[in-house]
Amino acid sequence: MKQWTRGSVVRSILVFVLFAGMLCWMMFSPIYKHVLIVRHAAIQQEVDYLLEVGANGDHGYIDAAMVAQSRQRLAVLGLRQDALRYEVSATDGSIATNAAVPLVRGTGLALTISYPYDGLFAIDRLIGLASPPEDARMRAFGLKMSEYVP
Amino acid sequence: MEKLLLFVLMAVVWMTAQAQQIDEELAMKALFQGKHAVNRAAHAAAQQLDERRLAYGEVHIDSGEAAAAIRQYLMANLQLDGTLTPMASSLFRERVEIVLLEVINEDRSFPYTYSNSAYNYEVTLERPGVILIVRLHYPRAFNVLRPIEWYVKGTAELVY
Repeated sequence: MKQWTRGSVVRSILVFVLFAGMLCWMMFSPIYKHVLIVRHAAIQQEVDYLLEVGANGDHGYIDAAMVAQSRQRLAVLGLRQDALRYEVSATDGSIATNAAVPLVRGTGLALTISYPYDGLFAIDRLIGLASPPEDARMRAFGLKMSEYVP
Repeated sequence: MEKLLLFVLMAVVWMTAQAQQIDEELAMKALFQGKHAVNRAAHAAAQQLDERRLAYGEVHIDSGEAAAAIRQYLMANLQLDGTLTPMASSLFRERVEIVLLEVINEDRSFPYTYSNSAYNYEVTLERPGVILIVRLHYPRAFNVLRPIEWYVKGTAELVY
């Protein structure tokens, strides 16, 4: 029979606490990272799609209606609509969100979608890694030349 | 004590497998980002018509402006600086190299089949267009994978 002394009990508890934290981190941290990768892939895919449509010969813009539809597509995947942020711009500085004044061929249409990390890095604090600041956001972006010819 | 050893060994195996999986996922994303950047650069280059020659009815792509457009669109889509070296915010770490840029102009007969055995690439164009091959290095997050390098190929035709 093992003899429990105060020292051995304290050591056991310490080892237990340390390993419990590490075990939690090892089991769940990779899953959080996969969620991060998949969310970023989802918004990147949305950027690619919106640019493909927005820069084609029928459009030359990304207007509010297209952004609203895009928000709904991303909401189906479980992202919060109000937390998504869309930035549409043109390489020549003109307004790229007006369907009445499309960007003409030769002008680049740029889109950035960003989404907060939502505490996906919080679990890294278990092993002492600092997580990014609260307002840090993942970003997906792209630039494509408009094909619109008036 | 032997259980503790087993725990540590299993933890190493588990973390290695996870690191490899995450790195492979990121590599796929990086490849797609590179491919989209190449596609958009080639697409922008193929729209650089020489307007003076267009006035005479010749549909001619200006190769100087095509090269400038390719640089501009690669820089924007991959977050590179003027020497095509990645900026701090970019996913990539090593300089991006344009290994091939070929402008197919109106002097060929269409449909024109371009083939390049050095890069194992073949494509048929119906109109004047641009062929672009770019070399990309994937920066591994963990050293579980072997080094990855891609020759990303893209072609775009003139849209009209």
